[in-house]
Amino acid sequence: MNFKDFIKEKMILIIGTILAISSIEILLLAYHISLLVRLYCIIIVLLVVALAILIEYKRKKEFYNQLIKNIEDLREKYLISEVTKTPNFIEGKILKEVLQDTGKSMLENVNYYKNIQEDYKEYIELWIHEVKIPIAASKLIIENNKNEITKSIDEELDKVENYTEQALFYARSNAVEKDYIINKTNLKDVVNGAILKNKSILLNEKISIELTNLQQEEIYTDSKWAIFIINQIIQNAIKYSKKNDKKIEISSREKNDKVILYIKDNGIGIKNGEITRVFERGFTGENGRIIGQKSTGIGLYLCKKLCDKLGLGIELNSEKNEGTEVRIIFPKNSYTNF
Amino acid sequence: MAQKILIVEDDKKIRKELETFLNKNGFIAKGLEKFNNTVQDILNENADLVLLDINLPYTDGEFICKEIRKKSDVPIIMVTSRDNEIDELMSLYAGADQYVTKPYNIQILLVKINGLLKRNRKLEKEIQKINCDGFELNIAERVIEKDDKKIELTKNEYSILYYLAKNKGKVVSRDEIMDYLWESEEFIDDNTLSVNIKRLRNKLEELGLTDKIETRRGQGYLLV
Repeated sequence: MNFKDFIKEKMILIIGTILAISSIEILLLAYHISLLVRLYCIIIVLLVVALAILIEYKRKKEFYNQLIKNIEDLREKYLISEVTKTPNFIEGKILKEVLQDTGKSMLENVNYYKNIQEDYKEYIELWIHEVKIPIAASKLIIENNKNEITKSIDEELDKVENYTEQALFYARSNAVEKDYIINKTNLKDVVNGAILKNKSILLNEKISIELTNLQQEEIYTDSKWAIFIINQIIQNAIKYSKKNDKKIEISSREKNDKVILYIKDNGIGIKNGEITRVFERGFTGENGRIIGQKSTGIGLYLCKKLCDKLGLGIELNSEKNEGTEVRIIFPKNSYTNF
Repeated sequence: MAQKILIVEDDKKIRKELETFLNKNGFIAKGLEKFNNTVQDILNENADLVLLDINLPYTDGEFICKEIRKKSDVPIIMVTSRDNEIDELMSLYAGADQYVTKPYNIQILLVKINGLLKRNRKLEKEIQKINCDGFELNIAERVIEKDDKKIELTKNEYSILYYLAKNKGKVVSRDEIMDYLWESEEFIDDNTLSVNIKRLRNKLEELGLTDKIETRRGQGYLLV
């Protein structure tokens, strides 16, 4: 708040005062009052009005400057009413009350949606746990009645299972910190876990798996989440494979306190300009459109999000028609900051 | 003697299919039908192992597990469709020996069952060798033996022969062998399987055993 603007606001008062003084002066002049008294009248009125304006200016300046400074400093700007002192003039008091009311109402509104979202998330989790029971039952029925037909159903069921799992992890992805335990884990077990989830389809599609150098690598991570992430990448390798000689090579290398897991396929690859966008939510790109695969644009997005939350790195390299390589970088010691 | 496995699972279909599957795999499986007095019923059954679902009517699995542990050391595998860390910790804390989540991989479940049962009968002597009519498969050393001659097997060859020997006299399909190898975390492909079978035959011939592994066209292999 600067003084000029404030004075402009006070123009009516100032003009009124000048008018009042002038009329008094004219009146006093008509009665032949001495000059000294006339001057006195002018000075005293001007002095009182000026003083009143200055005091008001000081008060308001203090309050509003503090308010502006607060709003600039605050990250959660909706908390402004909480950090504002109650001023000792009426407009300020009204302003603060209004701010408080809007803040409260906004918070209620936000909470309303938060609750809806929380309810929905709970429902999704519950639903997924429910749907797992018929999946488990179907899998057992298939196990007890093995033939070409059930084998093919089994493959489809694996897909259902994978999609359900993706939904579960998506629902949880915003609160990873509530549901993970970092443990010393063997990288080979994690990779094997992810491969086994795709056993039927890998065997049926005749995709060969090559594992190298995975024996001794120990990593610090939550194995359930890590299996999920690797599983998504293997599923992509399966989805975007070529017709013949399908292969997925998985290897690892140690590098300064880190273990890098390489998952490389010889599939259709990704167009050069699209590589930087593959981790975006909903991005399906040329492969999603042309080849007619069921791309959702969720898999890699979720991988990236979970990796970020778990303190893992994820990178992707690809060449059109040559294949894709995904690297996941695990910390090797337990002192990594999450 | 076949060992008894008690299935405590309220989903009727899963219970029946599990029974069938476990019976097929050489166990005596029995499913609990009523759940109003589960703890006592489980103890009365005197099973060698209990598969216990967490979500049950009347009382939940964790409570039942705790109650059983007060009276019995029977191996318990907790089964659940909830897969969060808290549930896993709670189950293990309640005294369960293992924890699997639905939909479970049935072969892995089988491995876990066998593992627990083996641990529980420490006194029984471990089988070291499988006799295969004309030669022996040494499990500890992963070699085939005939008289004084020994021939070493690679990991894949051993796994294949072990599976054939376990199903001796039965025709085993290529798919089944592949399945078994994958579950043992050997992710081999079709060609590798053919190559390994060929090598196995060669090694058996070195011991003077010909035509031990027969090929049944369109069906699979058979160890005679």
